[in-house]
Amino acid sequence: MEKSDGQFSGGRKYKNKDITVYWKPSACIHASYCYRELIEVFDPSRRPWVDMQGASTEKIIEVVNLCPTDALAWKWNDEEKNKSIGDDQYNHINFRRPELIDDLEPVNEELPASVKIMTDGPIVIKGSFSLVYEDGSRKEFRDGMISLCRCGVSDHQPFCDGRHRKVGFTG
Amino acid sequence: MENNKEIKPQAVVELIEHGPIKITGNFRVNDLKRIKEESPSEIWLCRCGRSNNKPYCDESHKK
Repeated sequence: MEKSDGQFSGGRKYKNKDITVYWKPSACIHASYCYRELIEVFDPSRRPWVDMQGASTEKIIEVVNLCPTDALAWKWNDEEKNKSIGDDQYNHINFRRPELIDDLEPVNEELPASVKIMTDGPIVIKGSFSLVYEDGSRKEFRDGMISLCRCGVSDHQPFCDGRHRKVGFTG
Repeated sequence: MENNKEIKPQAVVELIEHGPIKITGNFRVNDLKRIKEESPSEIWLCRCGRSNNKPYCDESHKK
């Protein structure tokens, strides 16, 4: 699925010495966590808009993990390290974009949507589904993914913004 | 041969105002903490953080 460096099917990828960040523009809902938290790396007014030298690897991972969709995902460049990823690393490609690891599995819209209740974390929904907001408006997802807040303290309801960790949510 | 597989409509994730998340249609649930997988026809998931029966809603949000 990966084409030349810098592009992959459905988006672009950006590397530093440690990690690769994948960007899938069609999945972006403009939650804006990336550039509000880390404008040094994620600057929509710049081309390319992602500068992987703008912050430490740890900081980039932290902010990519805040993205409530699969618009941003990441992996270690050292494939061995990708084999043992904790399930708190929400936007690692193991959870967000497994097709980037193994593209043999075709997208099948008849597959049930996957609803994962993360340990002490959000609800991660993946696949084909409709999201119906409180006011009745709908958003359709095809091979999509969202993280929904389960602790009640996210500032970006209904999506998870990682605050469950700060408040020590269990459940 | 008839395919006996149950055909369900696409999953619908509904945000209930001041309440839980209701999911219906074609979906399956994997609860990583309680190590439980299920494919119910309908589920109501807590999103206020106060349920005593997580991940399900127990109407604690009304208290």
